[in-house]
This record gives sequence, structure tokens and C-alpha cells, in this order.
Amino acid sequence: MTATALPVAAPRADPASLRAAWRVFWNGGRMSYGMLFNWARPSIYIPTLIGGPTFQLLFFAALGSYATDRSPAYFAIGNAVQVSALAGVFGMTMAIANERWFGTLPAILATPANRVALFAGRFLPFVANGLFVSLYAFGVGVVFLGVRLEPSSLAVVGAALLATVFSCTAIGALQGAISLRLRDGLFGANLITMAILLFCGVNIPLAELPAWMQVVGNLLPFTHGLEAVRQAADGAGFGQVGGLIGIEVLIGVAYATAAFFLFSYLERSARQNATLDVR
Amino acid sequence: MSASRVIRLVWFVTWFNVRMLLASEFFILTTFISPLIFATLAFFLFQSGGGTAGQTLLYVALGAGMMGVWSTTLFGCGGAIAWQRWEGTLELLVSAPSRYDFILVGQTFGAVVLGFYGIVATLAWGVLLFGMPIEATFPLVLPLSLLAAIVSLGSLGMLIATTFVLYRHANALGNLLEYPIWLITGLLVPISVLPLWIKPISYLLAPTWGMEAIRGATIGAEPPLLAIAMCFILACAYYVAARYTLVFVLDKARRDATLALQ
Repeated sequence: MTATALPVAAPRADPASLRAAWRVFWNGGRMSYGMLFNWARPSIYIPTLIGGPTFQLLFFAALGSYATDRSPAYFAIGNAVQVSALAGVFGMTMAIANERWFGTLPAILATPANRVALFAGRFLPFVANGLFVSLYAFGVGVVFLGVRLEPSSLAVVGAALLATVFSCTAIGALQGAISLRLRDGLFGANLITMAILLFCGVNIPLAELPAWMQVVGNLLPFTHGLEAVRQAADGAGFGQVGGLIGIEVLIGVAYATAAFFLFSYLERSARQNATLDVR
Repeated sequence: MSASRVIRLVWFVTWFNVRMLLASEFFILTTFISPLIFATLAFFLFQSGGGTAGQTLLYVALGAGMMGVWSTTLFGCGGAIAWQRWEGTLELLVSAPSRYDFILVGQTFGAVVLGFYGIVATLAWGVLLFGMPIEATFPLVLPLSLLAAIVSLGSLGMLIATTFVLYRHANALGNLLEYPIWLITGLLVPISVLPLWIKPISYLLAPTWGMEAIRGATIGAEPPLLAIAMCFILACAYYVAARYTLVFVLDKARRDATLALQ
């Protein structure tokens, strides 16, 4: 039998169609989580995304309430939101940068798949994961550290949390795109999570930081979303914190857009310079 | 092996490992950058409290620096044997005429010594940014305190290296154990304010006494002789435990033919 005698299967969907884009978005996103996120197995997930955040909350609640006169609940809320960065920033960095390390990047870029769908599909599992980690941490805060949320404010807290997790996943996507050119992408992911801890009002109110740090904080994800979560936890409604949530979403969209354009630029550049597989 | 050859071997492996870790971006982060970020965070937190906690900037800087030492020890030692497996050098080192535990001592000391550079970086950071005064109430005891802290943390690192190898994902254990040890060893929050049941655990951990020895020599009211002695006692205990664990782990790996398997 010769190669020409083999029946050639017709493509199942036109790559340019909406249906194909949806499949790339949904299935691609799901598979990227399972295959590219190194921590998606219980032996790593539990120590890193359950155990680590638990102790982070306890550490900062103890340190903060010892060093200042604020309650442990203040630090618990800040850190319960911040721990979503572990899933969002590290997860997205791995979901993009690992394509290169696992050798699948050339295959991905050779496909005619819709790039926006390919890129956006990666967000969904990591946003869901970030929300889960954050909600778990809130649970720890409620049980052990005196965090109290009014039932009436839960919807607002949830919306602010969702916006914050999205924007942190977006900065993770940008780091992932940058990592396509770096030797160690997790270095930048570590720096981002630490910067969030320091600049975004997680443990120290933004107003108490020097002016230049406030500027940096306002440009990073988390700051507005976290403030919205704090105010909502104190009983503020959508009317009071809607603006903060909106700014947080806009910051997330800006980072996601920057990430997409950088990814596209690096794709073109890698094709031109034949550096797709260069590490 | 003669004592001089053992010292030469440990010395060589220590510096070789320091140079290897310096080539890793991750260890640059945990040793030099992360302590500065946590020091800044702690400085602002204590500043925000308006001094109600009654701690000096030097107290905070030393604590944040020691946090970096612990992170470097934890990640540097936790993955020591696993890395040798990945690099394919474990079989060669285990079957070399030199005793493998001496090689491991050098490796773990390399990580700890690198970690102590972090304390220097944190102190410099505190002086430059926050005008922190550098002082030591017992300057002659300080070198002994530092040596005691390095020896005890190095031995603890060896125990970590030999036990973490039983778990496939040593780095995940590192992620888990960073914050709790920072908390219960009194690096920034004194042990006296922690719940009573935590204290016995704190006293079994080298960073507790290492920190006590260094702080005692710098800002303490009396020489930290007990802390220095405890560092050396714990170092001996850790070494014996690590040696037994290592013999068990290597015997098992040889028996099951899994020495090179990840």
C-alpha cells in the first residue's frame, strides 16, 4: 500500500469557524490545565495550594496582629485574596511557558487554531482554581482568624474576588508570555507574587506606603479588587465598590491584552529567527 | 579517611555547591531578593504599629534575614538528593570511595552558607533604606553564634535532605514548610506570644536557637550561651538521625534497584 492510497479524513471543523474556536477555547483550556500545570496532582497541589496558603494566613495574622494593633481578620482577608496569585500567576505562567519546555510549542504554533481562543482558553481553569484556593483560605480565616462576612455582602465579595482573580491570572499570562524567552519563568512569577504581597495593601494599608510604592500598587492587579473585598466585607454594596471592581477588571483586561500581543509578537519573532525551540 | 581529607572534601563540596546555587535564579531569589522583600514588609508592619511591639529595626532585619536562611536551607537541602538523581550523579557519588554522608554534609552546608549571605544583604538593606544602626552588645560572641547557627542549620538541612527524598515532590514539601517554620521559630513573632503547645516543637528546631544565638549576641542583655550550646547539641542529634536515615534510604534504594529512579 502506498501513502497516496490512504484515505484522508476530512477536517472535522473549519479552523476559522466559531465552533472550532470554541473547541480550542474549552478543550484546549481544560487540557492545558491537566497537562501543563505542574501542580495539578494531589501530591503537589495539597502541600502547595492548600497547606502553603493555610500557613501563610496564620503567619501574617500572627505577625500583623503582633506588630500592629489590627485584628488577625484584617490580615486573613488580605492574604486569603492574595493566595489566589499562587494559582493564577504560577498556573498561567506554567500553562504558557511549559509549552516550550515540554516541546509542544512548535506543534501548537503550526496549527491554524484561533489564537485568541487558544490564549483565552487558558484563563478559565486558572481563574476557577484561583477562586477555589481563595475561598478555601477565606474558610480558614472564618474558622480560625475571626473573619466575619455578612450574608448580604457575599455577592459583592464574590464579584470583587472574581475580578481580582481574573486580573491576577492576566498578569500571570503576561509573565507566561515573557517566560517564552526566559531560562526560568518561575523567577518572574515569584517576584510578582512577592510584589503583590508588598505593594497591594495585602498586609499594609496602601496609604501607609511611600508615594512611589502606592503608584506601583495602583498599577498592579489586586490593589483595587482587594480594597473592594475589604469594603464589601465591612458591608459596602455594589454602589460603593462597583468602581473599584471596574478598575480591577480594566487592569486585568489591560494585562491580558498586553500578554496576547506579546505572545503574538514572540510567535512571529520566533518563526522569523527560527528560535522556537531555543532554550 | 583521615580527618584532613574529610575536612578537605566537605570544604570543597560546600564551595562547589555555593557556586552551583549562585547560578540558579531561584536561589538568587530565595537568598537575596525574598529576604529583602520580607524585611521591607516587616519594617513597614512594625512601623505601622508605631513601635507598640517594642522591637528594634535590627530585630526585624535579623529575623527577615533568617527567614531567607531557612528558605535556602529548605529548598537547597530538600532537593539535594533528588537533583543528584536528575543530574545522573547520585550513583557515582554513592559508589565513590568517599563516604556519601560527608558529601551530603558539604552540600547542605553550601546551601546554609549561601543563605547566610542573605542576612548580610538584609542588614545592608536596613542600613541603606531605613537608617538602621548596626550594633552588637557581645561582638566577641557573635562569630561563635553565627558558627553555631550555621552548624545546626546545616545538620538540619542534612536531615531534611535524607527524609525529603522519600517524598517524590521535595519542592512541594518546601512550599508547605516555609511559613510554619518562620512562624514557630520566633523569627519575627516571639515564641512567647505563641500558644503553649507550639513551644516544645519550636525548641526542637535549629532556627529557633540559631536566631536566639545571633540576636542574643547583637541585641541581647546577656551572652546567649544556652542558645549556642543548644545549636551544637541539636546539630549532633540531627546528624545522627540523618546518618541513620541515609543508611536506610540508600540500602532500600540499592535493594529495590531504585537509586537512579525519580
